[in-house]
This record gives sequence, C-alpha cells and structure tokens, in this order.
Amino acid sequence: MKKKKDIKVLLVDDEKAFVDTLGQRLRMRELIVDVVYDGEQALSYIKKIEPDVIVLDLKMPGLHGIDVLREIKKISREIQVIILTGHGTEKDEEEAKNLGGFEFLRKPADIDLLVAKIKEAFSEKFERAMTAAAFAEEGFFEQAKKIIKKEE
Amino acid sequence: MIDIDLRTSELNFIGKVLCVFTHQVNNQLAILKESVGLIGDLIEMGKVSRKDLEGIMSLIESIRNQISKTAYFCNSLNSFGHGMVETSASFAVNKIIDDLVCLLDKLAAQKRITFKKEFKEGIPLIHGNPLKLQFLVFYFIEKNLTRLEKNSSIIIKTSRSEDTINIDVIPKGIFVQVEDGAGGDTAYQFLANNLGASISVDTPEGGITIRLPLPSSAA
Repeated sequence: MKKKKDIKVLLVDDEKAFVDTLGQRLRMRELIVDVVYDGEQALSYIKKIEPDVIVLDLKMPGLHGIDVLREIKKISREIQVIILTGHGTEKDEEEAKNLGGFEFLRKPADIDLLVAKIKEAFSEKFERAMTAAAFAEEGFFEQAKKIIKKEE
Repeated sequence: MIDIDLRTSELNFIGKVLCVFTHQVNNQLAILKESVGLIGDLIEMGKVSRKDLEGIMSLIESIRNQISKTAYFCNSLNSFGHGMVETSASFAVNKIIDDLVCLLDKLAAQKRITFKKEFKEGIPLIHGNPLKLQFLVFYFIEKNLTRLEKNSSIIIKTSRSEDTINIDVIPKGIFVQVEDGAGGDTAYQFLANNLGASISVDTPEGGITIRLPLPSSAA
C-alpha cells in the first residue's frame, strides 16, 4: 500500500516564485513534488510520468487551466486535479467540477488545507483503485472498469 | 445609442481592469504567504543550517520584491480610481498610460504578448478626462491582443509634435485575423471627438498604427 510519502504531486502555475516555494514546502511535508510552469509542459509531463495529484492554476500563458484539466482527464481519468487559482469564477468552479476536478481552492490558500486536500484526493484515488482491483480479482472486469472511470 | 454602447463598454473595461488587478494581487499575496510560510517551516523544524540561512535571506529579498511590485500595482489602480472620480482634471499622459499598461500586463502575458513602452519625456500636462482617454487606448490595445499571435508585442509610444501629443499603439508580430483599421469603430471615433482628439491609422510592417493627437492646450 502507498504511504503518504509516496504521493506524487505535480504543481502547475506560471508564477515561478509562488510555485517553487510551494513545492519546497510540500516536499518538507513528505510529498514527492515536481513543478511545471504552464499547461503545455504539464501535458508533456503526464505523458511520461503519471502523478497522483495535480495542483493546477487556471489563468496561465497559453492553455487555460480548464482546457488543461479536460486534456488531463482524456489522458488519465485517475489523476486527481485540484484547482488553485487567484482568478477563478463560479463558472470556472462548476466547469472544473463537471470535468472531474477534485477540489477548487482560491489563492492564497492555507498550506495545511492544501495538504489535507491532496491527501483526500490521493485516498479517493487509492480506494477506487483498490476496489477496482478487488472486483477484477473476482473476475468482474466491467465493474472494475466502471469504478476506475466513475463518470462513465 | 452610441452613448449607451460606450457606457457598457466602459464598464466592461473597468471590470476587466479590476479582474486583472485582483488576480495579480492574489498571486502576489500567495507568493508572500508561501515565502513567509517557508521561513516559518525552517525555523519550526529547528535545524536552520548556514545554507538554510542563505535560503531565508533570499526569501526575505523575494518578499521585499513582491511588496514593491504589489505597491506599484496598487498605486496604478489608485491613480486609475482617481481618474474615475475626477472626470475633468489635469494629468500627465505618460503616467495614465503607464498605469493602464501596468494594469493590463497580466492580460497580455496570458496571451504571451509583451508591451513595450516608449514614452517621450517632457510632455506637458493636459486637461480632460483621464479615464476616457485610458478607455480609448485600452480599446486599441485589446483589439491588438485579439489580433496578434503569441510571442508578439504591442508598442505603446507617446510623443509630442508642435501642437499635438500623440499616443501610438503599434502591434508587432504575426496577426491571426485581417484588420479592418479604425474606420469601422464609430463609437470610438465619437469618444475621441468628445476628448478633442482624432484617430489616424497607419500600416507600417503590415500592422496598424493608431495615433491620438491631443492638443496640448486641450480643455
């Protein structure tokens, strides 16, 4: 079973000073953290390495965070995405939820709250994977697939 | 009818400026919060090494920079706010354009477009409605933000000729759509007339140049 220190987090934000410092603080809390600075970099990254949780900004140069979220979920529905933005509207929040976003937080967010949400997101993903594995072990492959792709 | 359209557009403009401002300030607060938080984390852990101290000093420097940036940004919004209150005032063209560019910088950065300022020094104060002039310049800036591909730039230039003050908005880069010039912008021609200004269109390097000559003695 994966322990807390095994949680892989990808931070996506164009505010370099912010995201580098946040990354350092999350690493001090025993999370495995990588940082990228725009949506395109995030999509290239997850094609090579699949993080458990992505903390994603919305307003960035190039791709908007909502479009990045849509693409992430096309690549892997299992990656949990937490939006962390200084600009989010209620419409963005609803859209993020509809696209399978796990949580919508506004900057500046409390580090303890963010860590708690990352852990919750990871737990949900982990439990889903465990339940799916249990079904698959019993030969219920369709049910297992449905659990993993819960929105379908 | 033109008045109503312009009023709606003006409110839209103010709304955009406020959205960009709050977004930027939230980002800067987030940087400050994380920087202070990291210093706290290091101290709480009780194992501050010489290397950590160097890190703390660099965080303190970053905090200072963020405070300066935030203050500059707040001052720009403060001037912008004064322009909304004092609808007839003496003002420096360079200052109000600089405020506008500062407030819109993030909007341009999201499209990977940069602003380049070329302000002529020694331009005399003019009298009029600073917000309306910012609104007019904003219209042409925003239009170019829509027209330009990423990695382009917009030059915002001020100059003085014998009896006019000129504000040029010059797009540089690759265009995503064909420009219709300023000819179709009746409402903005109307606004310029109200400011005692005129708009001329130039097309060097395949782009457009908008000039807003203002009589230096304009009332």
